Amino acid sequence: MTATPTARSWRIRRTEPGWPECLSELPAVDEKEPESLYGFGNLGLLSEFDPDRTVTIVGSRRSGTYGREVARDLGFGAASAGLLVVSGMALGCDSSAHEGALDANGATVAVLGGPADEPYPRSKAPLYRRILSSGGAVVSEQPSGTEVHPGFFPARNRIMAALAGWVVIVEGAHRSGTQHTVRQAAKLGREVLAVPGPVTSTLSELPNELLSEGAPVVRDAQDLLDHVLGPGQTQVRGVGPELEAALLEALVAVEAGAGTCDAVAMSLGLDGNDAAVALARLELMGYVAGNAVGRYSRTQLSPPRGDA
Amino acid sequence: MIARVHTFTLLGVEAFDVSVEVDVGPGLPSFCVVGLPDAAVRESRERVRSAVKNSQFEFPDSRIVASLAPADLRKAGPGFDLAIAAGLLVAFGQLPPDALRGCAMAAELALDGSVRAVPGAIAMAERAGELGLEKIVVARPSAAEAAMPAALGAHPCRVVPIDCLKDLTLLDTTGEPSFTPPDIEPDRRPSHPGVDLEELRGQPALRRALEAVAAGGHGMLILGPPGAGKSLAARRLPTIMPPLSDPEAMEVLRIASACGQNGWHSNGNGRHRASRPFRAPHHTISPAGLVGGGTPPRAGEVTMAHRGVLFLDELGEFSRNSLEALRQPLEDGEVTISRVRHSVRLPSRFVLIAASNPCPCGHGEDSPKCQCPAGAAQRYRNRISGALADRIDISLSIEQPRPEDLTGEPGESSAAVRERVVRARLVALARQGCANAELGPKALREYVPLSTDARRELTSGHSTLGLSGRGHDRVRRVARTLADLAGRDEVSPEDIDGALAFRRRNAE
Repeated sequence: MTATPTARSWRIRRTEPGWPECLSELPAVDEKEPESLYGFGNLGLLSEFDPDRTVTIVGSRRSGTYGREVARDLGFGAASAGLLVVSGMALGCDSSAHEGALDANGATVAVLGGPADEPYPRSKAPLYRRILSSGGAVVSEQPSGTEVHPGFFPARNRIMAALAGWVVIVEGAHRSGTQHTVRQAAKLGREVLAVPGPVTSTLSELPNELLSEGAPVVRDAQDLLDHVLGPGQTQVRGVGPELEAALLEALVAVEAGAGTCDAVAMSLGLDGNDAAVALARLELMGYVAGNAVGRYSRTQLSPPRGDA
Repeated sequence: MIARVHTFTLLGVEAFDVSVEVDVGPGLPSFCVVGLPDAAVRESRERVRSAVKNSQFEFPDSRIVASLAPADLRKAGPGFDLAIAAGLLVAFGQLPPDALRGCAMAAELALDGSVRAVPGAIAMAERAGELGLEKIVVARPSAAEAAMPAALGAHPCRVVPIDCLKDLTLLDTTGEPSFTPPDIEPDRRPSHPGVDLEELRGQPALRRALEAVAAGGHGMLILGPPGAGKSLAARRLPTIMPPLSDPEAMEVLRIASACGQNGWHSNGNGRHRASRPFRAPHHTISPAGLVGGGTPPRAGEVTMAHRGVLFLDELGEFSRNSLEALRQPLEDGEVTISRVRHSVRLPSRFVLIAASNPCPCGHGEDSPKCQCPAGAAQRYRNRISGALADRIDISLSIEQPRPEDLTGEPGESSAAVRERVVRARLVALARQGCANAELGPKALREYVPLSTDARRELTSGHSTLGLSGRGHDRVRRVARTLADLAGRDEVSPEDIDGALAFRRRNAE
């Protein structure tokens, strides 16, 4: 199976320039350093790699809405602050973290267990394509054509842990793959952060235990940014999804003080229905917020750059 | 000798049969009225005595008993005067015994013998027709009302208009007064002289929301500072609502007549039109004034707004009791007033339009000009009780139009908007047999299919905007109406978006 025709595959060896140096820390903790990495997409992400501006966000494959929403929010916040988001493209939390980063027009790297030219799990093929088409990268230590083997996934976890300066655990049970990643990160001296969860949920066993052992708590993206970039250095100011020209015009009208459907319609010469539709879309996207009486105002969210 | 005359008493908006029996017999001269008469009925003795004397009839120096049957129904008002006087004249032999056969009558007497109109002529004429009576005698001013049921297809009953008691002698003669209904059939085009939607300038979203309200029958809340045109807009809503059907027109006219009002307008060329009522009670109104009450029960504003529009301006100023009283009419479409001896049902299907300032001072709490203390705006909005909030599908914030908008082109006329409204309403009726506002949760699933895209839009409304289950239903209802207006079978994402923009906030 081939990846997107537009993406060129590459291979980078341990000895070559551009090899992420943080991977060289692996032998020190009795883990094997990969011989080479195979990948698709933006090789520059790896060659200009800065672990201080990289976070790995992982969590359970079985996570529910809570884990997915949080992972997504963290991915979004981290990426919009310019951090690189690394995860494993697994079902659940991992994919949500990637999606969040992509929604913020940020870069994200997916480390796969199997070969990089084969989206795994299959159902994440759309996400795979989206990562590649928006300037991200998909990497693996397995060459093309290797058959996927269960043992690849724990091995992949050490790469994810090694690549980032920070590892955020969203959800995870005891004796899970996530716990393996935590162990690797701890061995490597990476700081492990955890998202608290309900004490009754097995999915929150791991993060809650980490918290009780003194791991920094991550309640939202701001907590994460405060930790990575220093307290108060960056406010989470998101970048929203892309806007059509008509919606952008409506957004500008709201910025200029048009707070009602009527005002937007009048200032743009629109039909009342079109103005209402535009405002509802902007509200759904998070660009504007209506108050209790339904007057709209601008939110913090900024539209993506024109060239995005 | 005993004479018997048919007449009616009005309870709520319906006419109930009353039979007046008059006995003139030997004994000390006296005149009494029995059968639970109220003060006005007891006083009718004096009016009858003077009217009879002043109409060149002779008033008997005998013992006179007038009995109003059924004896357990409380009778109120002056409408029995004519029947009592007529019964007296027959019993005393001054009118032929057959003069009143097959004949009902209802009018008040003046002391000089002339007759005055009483409320409820339409309901009475209708009832007379149902009873198979041949004619109904009324005062000339209510003749047009009494002729209305026949004009609208009810059992015909001849209307005999009289000017004075003396005219009773003409009954059953060639000189019997007759009444040719002067082209009374109400053509059901709207006639609200001088009121047209084209006067609403420069508020396209408000126009659109009104159109949806007219087509779907949704309740609406308009929020905006004083002078933003809230009342102006609400007043124009009846002009774009679908025309009244014959039975609806009858209901409107019957209620108006029972409340002593004209339910129709004369348009100058002799034709009469029934139109959808518009009622705008002041916010100091009592609960009884709003939903009806009293003894005997009288219709309230919600009934007078039946098939039309009830406009509650300054919603936040209405007393909590008044708003709570609206619960039953909004849910059931009628008000039941129970008294010891009977209960009366008053129809009350109306479109609710409420208007409110965004906060007590009117500027809105987000405005720098707002001077309300903290929390006042929130409390102000919370006044709207749960029942009312449930019936308000559409909410729109508006602001004062800019001066350049006011001098601009007039907007689309009522007639043009109404065409779209009628088309959308017909589509809804053909699909589900009721207006979209009346779709319950189950009917919504059946009649409001969502495309995949529309469903996704609504789902994101849930997660992003915190839409509740009821909020969901409201959005879906309004989206159905927007789709009907646009001529779409399936609800599209735009319809959902439009409905989301018109949704009520802070209501859950």
